This record gives sequence, structure tokens and C-alpha cells, in this order.
Amino acid sequence: MNIDTVKAFTIEDYQNAYKKREFSPTEIIHLFLDRIRLLDPSLRAFLMVDEAGALQHARELEEKKFSESDFPPLYGIPIAIKDNICIHGLPTTCGSRILGNYRSPFDATVIEKIKKAGGIFLGKTNMDEFAMGSSTENSGFGPTRNPLDLNRVPGGSSGGSAASVAALEAPLALGSDTGGSVRQPAAFCGIVGFRPTYGRVSRYGLISFASSLDQIGTLTRNVSDSLALFTVISGQDNRDSTCAPYPPFSSSDCIPENEIKKIKVGVAQEYFTTGVDPVITQRIQEILEILTNQGFEIEDVSLPHTDYALEAYYIVAPAEASSNLARYEGIAYGYRCNQPLNLQDLYTRTRTTGFGKEVIRRIILGTYCLSSGYYDEFYLKGMKVRTLVKKDFEESFKKCDILLTPLTPCLPFKFGEKSHDPYQMYLADVFTIPSAMAGIPALSINCGYHQYLPIGLQILGAPFQEGKLFSFATYLEKILAVPPPDIHSIALEKEVLR
Amino acid sequence: MSETISLSEIKKVVALAKLSIPDIDLEKFYLEINNILAHFNKLNRLELKEVSPTSHISWSQPPTNPDKFQEWTGMEELFSQAPAVIDQYFIVPKVVDKQEE
Repeated sequence: MNIDTVKAFTIEDYQNAYKKREFSPTEIIHLFLDRIRLLDPSLRAFLMVDEAGALQHARELEEKKFSESDFPPLYGIPIAIKDNICIHGLPTTCGSRILGNYRSPFDATVIEKIKKAGGIFLGKTNMDEFAMGSSTENSGFGPTRNPLDLNRVPGGSSGGSAASVAALEAPLALGSDTGGSVRQPAAFCGIVGFRPTYGRVSRYGLISFASSLDQIGTLTRNVSDSLALFTVISGQDNRDSTCAPYPPFSSSDCIPENEIKKIKVGVAQEYFTTGVDPVITQRIQEILEILTNQGFEIEDVSLPHTDYALEAYYIVAPAEASSNLARYEGIAYGYRCNQPLNLQDLYTRTRTTGFGKEVIRRIILGTYCLSSGYYDEFYLKGMKVRTLVKKDFEESFKKCDILLTPLTPCLPFKFGEKSHDPYQMYLADVFTIPSAMAGIPALSINCGYHQYLPIGLQILGAPFQEGKLFSFATYLEKILAVPPPDIHSIALEKEVLR
Repeated sequence: MSETISLSEIKKVVALAKLSIPDIDLEKFYLEINNILAHFNKLNRLELKEVSPTSHISWSQPPTNPDKFQEWTGMEELFSQAPAVIDQYFIVPKVVDKQEE
């Protein structure tokens, strides 16, 4: 067995192979650990690799006996975890120097669920500091590189998770999505990124950035793995009061393939503006033609407040972040500055030297938006715009079942291309932010390549209608037949094997 | 909506956020933040008087847990994360200065 044996595997394929004893979880873990050892010095997708823990977990699984009926749904599946999701005993840095020495004393709810389902954690992946960024250039520990072109960013903030899955250092990963941080890196790395409805997945143990927007999501090489992982991690949790009081997602919520063409597809012109790379617009138009020829009904809808969502987001998210990040003061945990003169000096020097520039910029912006005299002018206004954005989607979903949009306005960009101008970087999330503001489920799939760079297509659904989203994405994946990033032709292997 | 933030306001906000920015970087921050704030002015085009804010994408009333004491057994592990501890107390620099004494 080598990496080629599993390059097109789904979770189901691993399960079948395990049941037939074609290989063991320990062999699979060794395979991926070897792959990480080979590639990650160039890719830098992982902040830490838990070799010992992963191998021990694999051995423990092998000692247990399972029947067909109680075979755990993620038995022996290696998973990479974004470094803002807590795993007991492992570092959780959030990509920040301020949490550089922090080891989580508890498991996030999603981690508990994955452990129970037999999943094995390979390690923690790189990210923009506190998930603030769209390129992973804001990590306190250096950027991750895009496995399709090492001179380009992998997207962000879940860039480490996306790059690790695209390069097949891990078959699947968890990320978090506040304004597009799962979907945008998935698009830039040519894989599948999924953000569930806000409240579908517990945020307990996800380090907070902007609490009313943060949501844990999945990064996988195919749609069926996203569905399988989402099924495991979804469901109510009394440790997160924003978690919806609904049972876990079930694949029975999906639509049978013979009814798939009853799904009405909506297209909003607001997502096809002049600022979008024509290569992306053209590919989406081609896909709409394919769908029309397949017999789908395509409906034009309007989302008139789309243009305001980005600005509202950059009020709401920094405001919530400035409040959430007040807890990092160098007393109870995390980094503390050397020899503080007094308490004020301890707070100020710890935070100033512990946080990176983008985090400081957003804390200042957020503090200003929440400060006395400006709350109504900024934060309240941002929350009102959010109402309008949400209503736009509600109206649209009266006319259609899903919406198709470009995922990003541009193809993966080069390092340094946008980092000099924060607002230009913010624009990278212009198509993922409105759905995050509305809390609706969204899925990103690779719909084709321009030369070797992937083009992301976004599928949006009504709240808690993930079944329709997955059914449609599965169908589209099948008819488009766009291959995931080739693990042998990628620039990374060329550099490593040279 | 205020179009710009002044340099003195930025300094005040930086202090409120328990941060400090060297003067050499402050000018750059000032320009960057004002550039971002300028984009926020777009929201002034919207009529928002009658619109209620959405603070939370709510499906129903968020549930509450029973007001019941729950013991946390991992105290030692929690304190092991702290930069400076004695007997389960966090050590901080002296808070009261000499004049106040």
C-alpha cells in the first residue's frame, strides 16, 4: 500500500478496506505521517503533528472488536484539526504567539464526537492568527503555502487545513468559518469546504473570534466525506447555548437522486459584478448552461444588500473580536511579558507583544466601533444591515432551493500581493461574508481549473436545509467530474522530490 | 457615521484596548484604519431607522442550562497553564502603589 492506493478514497472506501482487513489503522496512520514528514517542511500546513498520540489511538482502535452494526463511522480515519479547536493535552495556539505555550485542558465537543466515532487526529494545522485573515499570511508562526503553487497563498484563515487535504497529508480536516475561512481556502486549494447553518455544530471548544458568526466546518477531497464528517459533528450541545435544539444531521435528510432535478437553482446578479475575474464568471456561466441542459430550472433572484454585507461584517466581527480577545491578558493562561512593572504594564506589554498586527488592527477597529458615542453609529448599524442581508436570502429561498455564486472574486493570489492593503485583503471574502452574516449553510466545490489554479463555486441553502445542499453538490460533483488536486503533479512534490 | 478617526482618538482607543503602538507605526495604523472607516460610510446610503438589529441568527429562544453547581475536577491542569501561580493563586505584579499604601 502507498499513497496512490488511497488518493481517491472516500471515508466509505477506508471503512470497507478496514472491514476486509486490507490494511489496519496503524498502517494508514504511518502512511500519512510519512507523507507529512516528506511534504510539510515545504508546505508548512501543520503547526504540530501528534505522531505518538495518533499511533496510540490507532492501536487502541485495533484492540477493540466491532460488529457491522456498531462499526464507528470514522473508524481509523486520519483527521487534521485547525489550531483553534481544542484537543485535550495538545497545544492550541490559534496561530498566535500569545497562546504559544497553551495546552488545552479539555476537548471541544466536535473532538469528543470524532473520538467517539473512531477518528484519529494527526495534528493541528496552521491558520491566520485568531482566524483573522484570508491567506494564512497572518499566522504568528509563518505562512502555509498553496500545494498547487508554492508561490501562492492557500487562502485563509483555515489555510493549513485546506493545504493539508489538497496535498493529501490528511484525507480530511476541520476548520472554522467566520466570514469564509473554510470555503475560501477550500476554493484556493481545489477541495470541498462546507460551512453548516449557524448553530448546527457546537462551538464549545472553538476559540472565539466573532461569536455570532463563528462556525466549525469541514474540508475534504469530495462531497461525500463532508457529509459523513458533518453527520458526526452536528447536533445539540448544552455547553453552547447558540447550538440549535435539533438532532444530528442524517443522510436521510438528503434528496433521492431521481428527484434531484426538482431542486430550483437561483442565481443572483449581485455576485457577477465587474470586480470578478472573468475566468471565474465564465466558468460559472458554463455550469449554469450545463444545468439548464440537464433540465434544471434556473431562477434569477435579487440580493440587493449584498454590496453592504462586507462593510457591516467588518464592523460586527472586529467589535465582537475586541470583546472576545480581552481575555488574553497574561494572567490565567498564555504568554506573559517579561518583568512587568505593574498590572497595567503587564496587560499592555503582554497584548502588544503577543498579538500580531492584523489582530491589533481589528481590536482597535472593534474597540472604536463599540466605544461610547459610536456604538449606535457602527455596531448597531452593522447589526441592522445584517437583518437586511438575512431578509434578502429569506426572500430568495421563497423562489428557489439553492443559490449558485462564485466563491471568490479572484484566483489564488501570490504572497504579498494583498497583504500591504488590509481592505484589498478583506475583499477576498466578499462572496462568502453575506451568507455568514445570514447564518445559512454554504458549500464550496472545485468547479474547474484555469491552467492549474482551481475555481471555486459556492452553493448556498436555506437554514437547516443541508440535505438539499449536499444532494445538489453530490450531483454536480458527479456531472462536472473535476478531479481533486493531483498529488503527483503538484508543485510541492516536484520541489520535495527534486 | 463619523468619516474619520483622529490621531488622538486612535491613541485613546489603543489605550482602552490595553495595547501600545510605537509612534513610528501609529501613523500607518491611523491611515489604514481611516481607509477602512471610509468604506463604512457606504452604509449611510441605507435607511435603517425602522430596521431592527439581528444580533443572533436565532431559530427559537436560546436554551438555558439549569442553575446548578457543577464541579470541575481539572483545577490542577487549569492552573498549570498560568504563567505564575502559588498554591492555586495567580501571581500578578503589585496592584497598590506606595502612595496608596
